[in-house]
Amino acid sequence: MKHFCQKASQLASDAFERDLTFSERLKLQFHLTICSICSHYADNLKLLNKVLLGMRYQQKDDDICLSDEDRRRIETVLKQNTTHSDS
Amino acid sequence: MLCIMHKSAENPEHWLANHGDYLYRYAMSRLRNEELSADMVQEALLAAWKGWKNFAGKSSVRTWLVGILKHKIIDHIRKEIRDRKLADAVESDPTSAWFDADGKWLEAPRAWKENPEELCESEQFQKTLQSCISKLPEKQQIIFQMRELTGEDTDTICKEADITSTHLHVLIHRARLALRTCLEHHWFGGSR
Repeated sequence: MKHFCQKASQLASDAFERDLTFSERLKLQFHLTICSICSHYADNLKLLNKVLLGMRYQQKDDDICLSDEDRRRIETVLKQNTTHSDS
Repeated sequence: MLCIMHKSAENPEHWLANHGDYLYRYAMSRLRNEELSADMVQEALLAAWKGWKNFAGKSSVRTWLVGILKHKIIDHIRKEIRDRKLADAVESDPTSAWFDADGKWLEAPRAWKENPEELCESEQFQKTLQSCISKLPEKQQIIFQMRELTGEDTDTICKEADITSTHLHVLIHRARLALRTCLEHHWFGGSR
């Protein structure tokens, strides 16, 4: 008989993406109670999810800015192109 | 005329000065690449200049510019996926790298004891995570970043990457498998 681990890993991931069906949820939960490896996997994903979520909030900082170099470069390109289209 | 008046009131250099950083931040949140994000801002501003006549004034200039930038980014992502043949067909199943023919784990995941709040604060961990993300196949990388780092919803990602939601779930599942293994080797495995 094929082990359920491979399918369980997909369901554990899908649980973050969509609502699992009743039967999927039941199968996954049952499997996690009997398989410590998959249960570690599901816990690892939960931890990863929490960390990523935390990082998402941290990133909203205003310290991401165009570098002076990029800004000058864009300015030059804009000047070239906009004077062309004016004439 | 009206058009000329608008042109004098708003010009691309003012847009760059007033909205440049905002646009750049938006691009960075999706692309995570400084050079590419700056290029996208430039392209968006040029396109905005050419399409200025179409600006109906129904929204603020900033909203209008973000809309143009968004299209530029979508075009870029789609082109990237097409050009680099990041087809990553669903039929071929690379999850076999993690499971044997019986569906059993080849390398059993272990328990991670660390605290998510502390990991979140750790610059070292963030570096390790970024480096693991950068090792993902490109399509998975693009999609994983949009989903997990930008927090984009499924519909938007599917539209941008031109894939079905089922395909999206499969790609994210694969990305998680790879990322988890990478983190276990480089962080949680004790060999740091």
